[in-house]
Amino acid sequence: MGRMRGLEIPLTQTQKIRLQRALQKLESLSSKANSNASVTVADSIPVNYDDGFLKGHGTSELNGEVIATVCGVVERVNKLVYVRTLRARYKPEVGDIVVGRVIEVAPKRWRIDINFSQDAVLMLSSMNLPDGIQRRRTAVDELNMRSIFEENDVVCAEVRGFHHDGLQLQARSQKYGKLERGQLLSIPPYLVKRRKQHFHYIEEYGIDLILGCNGFIWVGEHAEPKDDMVIDEQANKSDQILKPSKYSMTLEEQERAYTPLETRQNVCRTANAIRVLSTLGFSVTIEIIMDTVTMSMSLKEIHEMLGSEFCVLVAEREAERRSSAKKKG
Amino acid sequence: MEYVSPEGLRIDGRRPMEMRKLHAEMGVVAKADGSAVFVMGNTKVIAAVYGPREVQNRSQQMSDQALVRCEYSMANFSTGDRMRKGKGDRRSTEISLVVRQTMEACILTHLMPRSQIDIYVQVLQADGGTRCACINAATLALADAAIPMRDLVTSCSAGYLNSTPLLDLNYVEDSAGGPDVTVGILPKMDKVTLLQMDSKLPIDTFDNVMQLAIEGCKAVATYIREVLLENTKQLEYHRGV
Amino acid sequence: MLHNKSFVRKTKSGKITKNVREHYLRDDIYCGVPACKSCDSSAARLSACPSTILILDTNVVLNQIDLIENPAIDDVVVLSIVLQEVRNKNMAVYNRVRALCSNSARKFFVFSNEHHKDTFVQDMAGESKNDRNDRAIRVAAQWYQNHLGGVAKVLLITNDRENKRKAMEMGISAETIETYVKTLGQQDLLDLLVRPPSEDVVMEEVEDLRPSKRKVIYAEHKPMSEITSGLHRGIYHQGKLRVNRYNPFEAYVGSESIGDEIIIYDRTNMNRAFDGDIVAVELLPQEQWQEENSLSLADEEHEEEDVHLVPGSADDAPRTANPGQGSGANADLPSSRPSGRVVGIIKRNWHSYCGSLEPMPMPAGDGGVAHALFVSKDRRIPKIRIQTRQLGNLVSKRIVVTVDSWDRMSRYPSGHYVRTIGEIGDRDTESEVVLIENDIDARPFSSQVLACLPPLPWSVSSEDLANPIRQDLRHIRAFSVDPPGCKDIDDALHCTALPNGNFEVGVHIADVTNFVHPGTPLDDEASQRGTSVYLVERRIDMLPKPLTEDICSLRADVERLAFSVIWEMTPEAEIISTRYTKSIIKSCAALSYIEAQARMDDSRLVDPLTTDLRNMNALAKIMRQRRIERGALTLASAEVKFQIDTETHDPLDIGMYQIREANQMVEEFMLAANVSVAEKILKHFPVCSLLRRHPTPTKEMLEPLLRTAAAVGVNLDVSTSRALADSLDRAVGDDPYFNKLIRILATRCMTQAVYFCSGDLSPPEYHHYGLAAPLYTHFTSPIRRYADVIVHRLLAASLGIYKLPTVFQDAAQLTSIADNLNYRHRNAQMASRSSVELHTLVYFRKRPTDTEARIVKIRSNGFIVFVPKYGIEGPVYLTERSEKGEGEWFMDEQQQQIRKMDGSVTYGVLQKVQIHLEVVEPQPNRPKLQLTLI
Repeated sequence: MGRMRGLEIPLTQTQKIRLQRALQKLESLSSKANSNASVTVADSIPVNYDDGFLKGHGTSELNGEVIATVCGVVERVNKLVYVRTLRARYKPEVGDIVVGRVIEVAPKRWRIDINFSQDAVLMLSSMNLPDGIQRRRTAVDELNMRSIFEENDVVCAEVRGFHHDGLQLQARSQKYGKLERGQLLSIPPYLVKRRKQHFHYIEEYGIDLILGCNGFIWVGEHAEPKDDMVIDEQANKSDQILKPSKYSMTLEEQERAYTPLETRQNVCRTANAIRVLSTLGFSVTIEIIMDTVTMSMSLKEIHEMLGSEFCVLVAEREAERRSSAKKKG
Repeated sequence: MEYVSPEGLRIDGRRPMEMRKLHAEMGVVAKADGSAVFVMGNTKVIAAVYGPREVQNRSQQMSDQALVRCEYSMANFSTGDRMRKGKGDRRSTEISLVVRQTMEACILTHLMPRSQIDIYVQVLQADGGTRCACINAATLALADAAIPMRDLVTSCSAGYLNSTPLLDLNYVEDSAGGPDVTVGILPKMDKVTLLQMDSKLPIDTFDNVMQLAIEGCKAVATYIREVLLENTKQLEYHRGV
Repeated sequence: MLHNKSFVRKTKSGKITKNVREHYLRDDIYCGVPACKSCDSSAARLSACPSTILILDTNVVLNQIDLIENPAIDDVVVLSIVLQEVRNKNMAVYNRVRALCSNSARKFFVFSNEHHKDTFVQDMAGESKNDRNDRAIRVAAQWYQNHLGGVAKVLLITNDRENKRKAMEMGISAETIETYVKTLGQQDLLDLLVRPPSEDVVMEEVEDLRPSKRKVIYAEHKPMSEITSGLHRGIYHQGKLRVNRYNPFEAYVGSESIGDEIIIYDRTNMNRAFDGDIVAVELLPQEQWQEENSLSLADEEHEEEDVHLVPGSADDAPRTANPGQGSGANADLPSSRPSGRVVGIIKRNWHSYCGSLEPMPMPAGDGGVAHALFVSKDRRIPKIRIQTRQLGNLVSKRIVVTVDSWDRMSRYPSGHYVRTIGEIGDRDTESEVVLIENDIDARPFSSQVLACLPPLPWSVSSEDLANPIRQDLRHIRAFSVDPPGCKDIDDALHCTALPNGNFEVGVHIADVTNFVHPGTPLDDEASQRGTSVYLVERRIDMLPKPLTEDICSLRADVERLAFSVIWEMTPEAEIISTRYTKSIIKSCAALSYIEAQARMDDSRLVDPLTTDLRNMNALAKIMRQRRIERGALTLASAEVKFQIDTETHDPLDIGMYQIREANQMVEEFMLAANVSVAEKILKHFPVCSLLRRHPTPTKEMLEPLLRTAAAVGVNLDVSTSRALADSLDRAVGDDPYFNKLIRILATRCMTQAVYFCSGDLSPPEYHHYGLAAPLYTHFTSPIRRYADVIVHRLLAASLGIYKLPTVFQDAAQLTSIADNLNYRHRNAQMASRSSVELHTLVYFRKRPTDTEARIVKIRSNGFIVFVPKYGIEGPVYLTERSEKGEGEWFMDEQQQQIRKMDGSVTYGVLQKVQIHLEVVEPQPNRPKLQLTLI
């Protein structure tokens, strides 16, 4: 397989060799760990029948043999044997922080696309109201749902769990809610590791970064949660009074709506860094992203980050990083 | 017409039991959940899989299993003469159905209730055996999308011309009008899931031809397995720990 | 799995579409030299230590195939590119080369250079297809040279100057075929050489130096592009040219585009086309359409109608111009039949022809190259110019000649000598000519074929007896009735009276398929031969002699395997039940027709066999009557029989073939068996049965019969076969032979029955007109007809005894088998006729005879008579040929009469005349039978 999957950038001959070398290095680093744990569909998975085992996800039984039903890596946790898939759609777990897009405003709920096999549901009741007061939702609230989230809005929420007909989300904290002034990126979910912290405020660049467990990543201008509430309040008020239009904004409001050029550039830089990493199929963590962003500072133009040279550089850097990490480890 | 020369070579230089050159690539459509290109000689098919995702038409939603849909089309430039082909012609509808039924039989649909899986296959170059290439491409794309399957499905055709069983007919041989057997198998389970034939054959010859097609399917399976494993490993080591 | 080393895409651009084909190059193609160390030599074909390996260029193979077939040329590597080019240009040559390559006696090896990784050449920009192929040949030659190193010398044979030069530059030894043949030092090989046309022109110029004399005789053929567009626009019409067998200056092109036949008169309009060529024809303006009634056409070559056998059907009969509105009064009005001229030849049908050289004075310098004109035995073929170094030797011989080219400057095509058959007039030679002319394979059976025979002496084994599919019918009193001296007895009969008053009648046919298994060399050979051929003095068998005369033949008093059709019939000959079974029989008597007839007639005999015969005869008569009522035609033929001297094989006497009741009895049961089998197989295999049909004759075909009948005052109703049969019955004149004569004339209006595959036609077309049967096939003579072998297999399969062989799945192949059978069947008949003609000539050579004849056709300068006693037909001239009918004779088309201007003498159709038969020799070695009025 000469070509790497998904990579559509034309490379020069030297770049090709450099990339190849970097990738080979990566391969050699990881191969010792668990190369023969990779399986494809219908491969049999060796198990210790005496000890007893539990078949987990991605396995089934054929003629007394455990076989994989998906491509991936065999994982064993105590007696549980399962296949961890790569490249699959998002599998929600309770407590995951996800970023999603509103598909539909339905009675008392929003339907949100979170890259799962079904749309997720965010109930109006699982949502903190703009006024911040805990109370029963009234018919008025229901009518005003669109003032909170509209179709195509990007929102951030937490997986609450499965309830009768589908996946439920909740957004009962200030940090959840609508995301504005930024970019939504979609990367394969397996590249995002579940960690303690998924919200990152990078003060240096004045941006927020949300690594949704579902592979949706938000990069946007930093927003103060408290302020947001105020804006929302104000927006609500103004909504009720008169339809605000761009031209009727007050100077102050325009000031707020305006994102400084530098911030916008930083958003783009970060987004591009994530794009490069995901094309190369590297895990996307805050450290690597920031490292890549730093690397990109040497470039004249931000769009060069999507060029071939930068891609090769990132690959080389990653190879180096992992090998040094290994040595340390 | 002489399809096998007395020297035992076919028109394109293959021997009767030989397959055309195989090539496959995965992850060719960025937006899709899974995708692949499958090439058999000059036949080239691209497949993209979307899903499992929310069922578009709620009335079709099934509470115990996933809905599998398939759409087959042929690119206008896929054949020698550039013809604008309508979407819903009989051939397309038939192949869509064949691919859908074949794939549905191996997808563990009960694991993905209330969802929908869309398979789009498009012929980029047609040179005989498009049906088989479509099935092989769809298998790869489904595996790429990590949709759980009982087994891979692989397919290959075989024909009977000049009193010789021929593996993997190309367009010239296909249009000779002789018997043409298309077989799809589940290689691990050793089961036949698809069997189609044009024209007719006496039963004992049919056995030979079908056996040859099955051998072809197995060879395809070996190749597809290699491609999948390589792909999985690559993904894994790129990702890092 | 073996796979390609690398592959190259080959783009073939057509008119609009672009085809991309894969082309795999391999490393497992071997050189075919057994001494080669690096190659797998299991498939090697060349000699162990060849001194020289020849590589032939395409043009050499195409033009010099006769030479290549000579065993002097051997150790040849045939490149696949050469084969491919030959195939595209000339299928016949291709088949001959292929035959050479598969002939184990010859050392020809096919090297697939196009798929070898080292010898494949890529198309280069600006290079023509031809140049590319020439280069491929050179590259392959070079590869051989390098590959073999010193093991053998590699010689490229090419007549293309440019190719030779380039080859020399590459260091390949190359020679022209002429120089190579000269080095072999065999004089007679040189005659086989085809001289290139360019050289030909040079020689003609030597003959006649004045350029003014070299006039253009024929119009130029239009280029292919123009023909294609002309065909497209409907200006030209495409079709196969068929030259009138009896008048080589008249040809027909059946054109689908105008749905009629286009007549082409004289050689100028035929424009160098041969019989069987696919040509493009342009219609002449309507005023030039002509009617032809003259007995012999005005031409400088004085070719005229010959005496020949009476045609058996419309297929053999001379073509007559459409009578249409033709009457004496409006004879000069343009005819309604389109005439045309050939503008281009789409596909040539040249092959080799049998004949002799036109007598000519010996050239002064003996042994030098002489030019001679060759006259084909087949009158449809024009004379052919050849060059020979052995003129003195060939002049009195029958030789085979091939056509090479036909220049528009020359009146005749040029060709070359292929081989000598023997002395002209020698009976063996002439018989062989008959065989060659009719494409009949009379060679002894090959060892592979003979290897398929069961070991001799053969007898019914215990396994056969124990076989559950085979019924033991040895206790049945079966017998056979055949012509005297018949050795290949393929049918036997039995007839047993049942207690209930009914009869059990069985037809037992030799079980040939028990010995001839599909796919074996024996079967392939039989399928190719298609039928046994009966000549006057010999028989050419379809199956080897042990099968034909012994193992299959249902001889008396031996146990034989059979395939039986058994009916239960009421005394009124109604079939109550039919069953089919493989069986074992033991014939109790092999009777001749005469013996059978004598037994039936002799009322003193009351033995069981005679009783059976009588019962059968009674049934047969009822069946025959019923068949006639249904509309079956009782047609007559003018078959004759020779008595041959056993020592000299010279004919001693000729006589009409006599048909007895016994013949009709046997025939009746055979027909019944055929019909029963046809029904059975069609029921089981509606699309792949082999049946036989006889198309209803069209009005046009019956026109000559009606005209003749009308002239003698007989009114024939041809609306249905029944009506025709009835009116034929009513046509009784005052003279006893009249009815038979009318029947003979009716017979020759019909086309022949043909075999066909049931899937190719719709059921109404299955009809057999002559027998008035909706279904018919041939089941009863598997020893001498391959069609019956096929039908046996179908019947066995329909009974579930055997599986149907694979050919039956392939409609195209089945159709081609049926076509071949028709072709062979027809050729066999033609050969029999030619053989009879030949013997007639031999017979009359020593016996000038006066006899009675009947006028069957009137022409403007004479008439054609039929001599019933000898079954021959020929022209009688009333005027000298040079006068061309402008003399004192007047022809009345309406009355079918020819009258002297002064009204003193009148000859009318069917009139009885006395004629004199004599063999004359207008030119040395060219005897012919002449008929003159007494």
